[in-house]
Amino acid sequence: MTYPLWLIPALPLAGFLVNGLVALIAGWQRAAGRTAAWREAHPDAGHGDHGHAPHGGGHGHDDPAGHGHDSHGAHGHGPSVPALPYWQRLFHGVVGVGATGLSCVLALGVVVPFVRESLASENGLPAVVETAYRWMSAGPYVLDIAFRLDALSALMLSFVTFVGTLIHLYSVGYMQDEEGFGRFFAYLNLFMFSMLTLVMANSLPVLFIGWEGVGLCSYLLIGYYYDKDFAAAAGKKAFVTNRVGDFGMVLGIFGIFALFGTADFSFVDMARHGAMNGHAPLSVYAVCLLLFLGACGKSAQVPLYVWLPDAMAGPTPVSALIHAATMVTAGVYLVARCSAVFVLAPDALTVVAWVGAATAIFAASIGLAQNDIKKVLAYSTVSQLGYMFLACGVGAFGAGMFHVFTHAFFKACLFLGSGSVIMAMHHEQDMRAMGGLRPKIPQTYWTMMIATVAIAGIPPLAGFFSKDQILGAAFGAGHPGLFAVGLVTAGMTAFYMFRLARMTFFGTFRGSKEAEGHIHESPATMTVPLWVLAAGALGLGFLGVPEVLGGSNTFMRFLAPSLAASHPHEVSIATEYLLMGMSVAVAAAGILVAWRWYGAAGATPQVPSVQADAFYRGTGPLGPIVANKWNVDEGIEALVLEPFRKIGTALWRGFDALVIDGVINASAFLVELTGDLARFFTTGNVRNYILTLTLGVLTFTLYVWIR
Amino acid sequence: MNGELLVFAAASAVAIVSALAMLFQKTPVKSVLSLVVTFFALAVLSVLLAAPFVAALQVIVYAGAILVLFLFVIMLLNLTQEAAERETRVVHRFLSAVSVLALGGILVGVTWRSGAPPVPVSASLNAIPATGVDGEIPMLGRLLFTDYLLPFEALSVLLLLAVVGALLLSKRRFE
Amino acid sequence: MNPATMSAAAAAGVSVMSVAPSAYLVVGTILFAIGLAGALLKRNALSIFLSIELMMNAVNLLFLTYARMRGDAAGQMVVFFVIAIAAAEAAIGLAIFVALFRARQTVDVDKINFLKW
Repeated sequence: MTYPLWLIPALPLAGFLVNGLVALIAGWQRAAGRTAAWREAHPDAGHGDHGHAPHGGGHGHDDPAGHGHDSHGAHGHGPSVPALPYWQRLFHGVVGVGATGLSCVLALGVVVPFVRESLASENGLPAVVETAYRWMSAGPYVLDIAFRLDALSALMLSFVTFVGTLIHLYSVGYMQDEEGFGRFFAYLNLFMFSMLTLVMANSLPVLFIGWEGVGLCSYLLIGYYYDKDFAAAAGKKAFVTNRVGDFGMVLGIFGIFALFGTADFSFVDMARHGAMNGHAPLSVYAVCLLLFLGACGKSAQVPLYVWLPDAMAGPTPVSALIHAATMVTAGVYLVARCSAVFVLAPDALTVVAWVGAATAIFAASIGLAQNDIKKVLAYSTVSQLGYMFLACGVGAFGAGMFHVFTHAFFKACLFLGSGSVIMAMHHEQDMRAMGGLRPKIPQTYWTMMIATVAIAGIPPLAGFFSKDQILGAAFGAGHPGLFAVGLVTAGMTAFYMFRLARMTFFGTFRGSKEAEGHIHESPATMTVPLWVLAAGALGLGFLGVPEVLGGSNTFMRFLAPSLAASHPHEVSIATEYLLMGMSVAVAAAGILVAWRWYGAAGATPQVPSVQADAFYRGTGPLGPIVANKWNVDEGIEALVLEPFRKIGTALWRGFDALVIDGVINASAFLVELTGDLARFFTTGNVRNYILTLTLGVLTFTLYVWIR
Repeated sequence: MNGELLVFAAASAVAIVSALAMLFQKTPVKSVLSLVVTFFALAVLSVLLAAPFVAALQVIVYAGAILVLFLFVIMLLNLTQEAAERETRVVHRFLSAVSVLALGGILVGVTWRSGAPPVPVSASLNAIPATGVDGEIPMLGRLLFTDYLLPFEALSVLLLLAVVGALLLSKRRFE
Repeated sequence: MNPATMSAAAAAGVSVMSVAPSAYLVVGTILFAIGLAGALLKRNALSIFLSIELMMNAVNLLFLTYARMRGDAAGQMVVFFVIAIAAAEAAIGLAIFVALFRARQTVDVDKINFLKW
């Protein structure tokens, strides 16, 4: 059986090229036309002015508190920039969605038989590796561009292409008023290409291509509204923060190379059999931590999580696809992929677990007090990613991957739902100006509620099963502390999600009368993906029903061949039921508190003001600090950036200005001096030249003669 | 004491004396005429060196064409006498004299002591036949159209360019 | 010239020189030095040019001498080419002087110093 594996990432790449080229050419033509129109309108304008139509002037979204709004559409650009003509949108949409959709069909066509045969066989199918071409070879070290299909990549492949296709489809509706429609789809397709390269790579260097590719696309799409300062700054922040992680990632790849002598995924089997270079200059512990540093950057773990909330400056489908469902889970995928190496260094796993737990509870606490609907979801994403790392850290890689899988569906659904809300509200993202939207946008309401219940961990929705397995694994692995943190986080998750739902959909509308009149349900291209994702959030948990509830945990059985053997936790059935009960109870408590606090009249003031929010009344002095995100950004500014600037200034003044410039100026001075001296000989008189020539010949002759 | 030595001594003396005359003449026309004498003496030396063809060229091309051209130009520009002002560049004169004497001294010393000639390349196709005048010119012609064909043709192009260049330069206006 | 070399040269069919070749070389070198002195000391551009012609002829003499010493006609060929190139050079150079004189009314190189940048 041959798998056309390389076609799966190649299709979105082709889509990127087509869409990108067409968008570029069309953009030039439009810009030229606009310049001409502007010239016509301003016949007296001098040559000094460059003919650029002003882009919609000031807008109300430059919020110094760092609320990176998804400012968007006609609102952001002003009336002077029209949307694309219909046929252009149709073209970009068909190419963009088509490329991803075809890729999805191909991927599912490959994955479904693989899953079926794998489950039918005893120990799963061996990995299918398809080499596209030889990238480099140096002596015994060979590096191929090769794609791999095994359980882990099949899993990633299936939901990345599936969710990706849905979000592409959603974007057709969401981005319809955008002038950069084609550019958006080009970037989105480029992202799909990079992500698929990442998950299908058969070696760490090829994975790293995808890893950097998704980082680039993330940067491009966060900064999609490049004329907005906060969006450009958020893009830069994401990119720079990821550089810190990637530094660890690259060193980790070198470390793997040093340990195993190869960087393709055969090192996983070698690690499993303990075939490792014992004299490597790096310990397994260090290599694992370095790889985990890379994962931290990409998956927004403490302390490198700061970029993800700001990344919400990008369009909402981007937040759903890149910053919730797919790219940010790449770190978890990396850890799961290298699980066999990680289990060789239990201390590193402990670090992973505690970093994950800290991220989970920390981000959740910040999410409690956010008023921007996308910010709540962003911190929720960070928190859920923390859960996944917690699972990996206690050795339950399968549970972590299961949460990646379910999270992709319900969080994508939530983000797309929030996008639908934002669109209905005409690009208002502050939940304090919403309320009572339930009857006006019923489809958005229903799908979002399903996803909300799912993420809150109420059985039998998807989030319950995956979260419960993580908590159970943490407890079973003998980490009651981790379990407690996870449990508290589960309560917080339920709280902030139902706070979001309560503030958005229930109560009375708190915005202006005019805004209320404009609220409308989104088009079908947006609601259909919402329903599909909601169905996933509803039902996908049943893929991994644990034995204790009478299931067979198909999911774990399928993944097992790709992962390190997870320690079966020795807990009695009674304990397991108790754990489940606890997690459900905590979630229910969170929901109740949210409902009580935000259900009261005046819980959310008509005019948004910090003091009157129910949250501050409920939490006392801690509230403002939490609302300001624990002052983390300020802390980084004071503890990292400011010293850096000081050092930089010192180096500039002391080293650059004195030494470097001194050397350069001195050499310039020397050249000038030499020139001045040499100018003395340039008299313009031929006889002097002849004399100089003769003296030169004489000198040379003397040299030869004396020698 | 044989004839060759006599002729050599006489021709050398004439060449050097007339060259010095050229050097010290103030009038350009006289300088040119002195040089004509030098070239004739050099032609004699060429005959002594078994190069009668070159000697003929020397007389025809150098003395007959180039120096006549010089004379034409001098007369055209009406250069009767060098400028009357005294030479003021004392340092230049001194340095020139020193370097000429030093360079000339070194070269004369080196050439005088160069001693025995290298072993003759008798096996070469280019060997100058000992039989004298009759054998030499046909051989030079053969060389010119075989081994030296490319330089020869290049030379013809160069001469053409010189003609064109001279025409262009002597036109009254460059527009 | 030592007898052994002389007999070898005679055996090779090269006519024997009765004057030492270094004498020719010395004459050529002296002429070269005189030409150099002319090029350095003369102020008239035409005279400088004339001196350079003398220097070329001196070198020609050296070439001929070496050709004779080695019994190789290549030296004579070089002289042939030098003479031809000298003719071209004289044509161009004199044309330049004519143009120069037209512009400056002088060929005194001390008065022509616009070779400066």
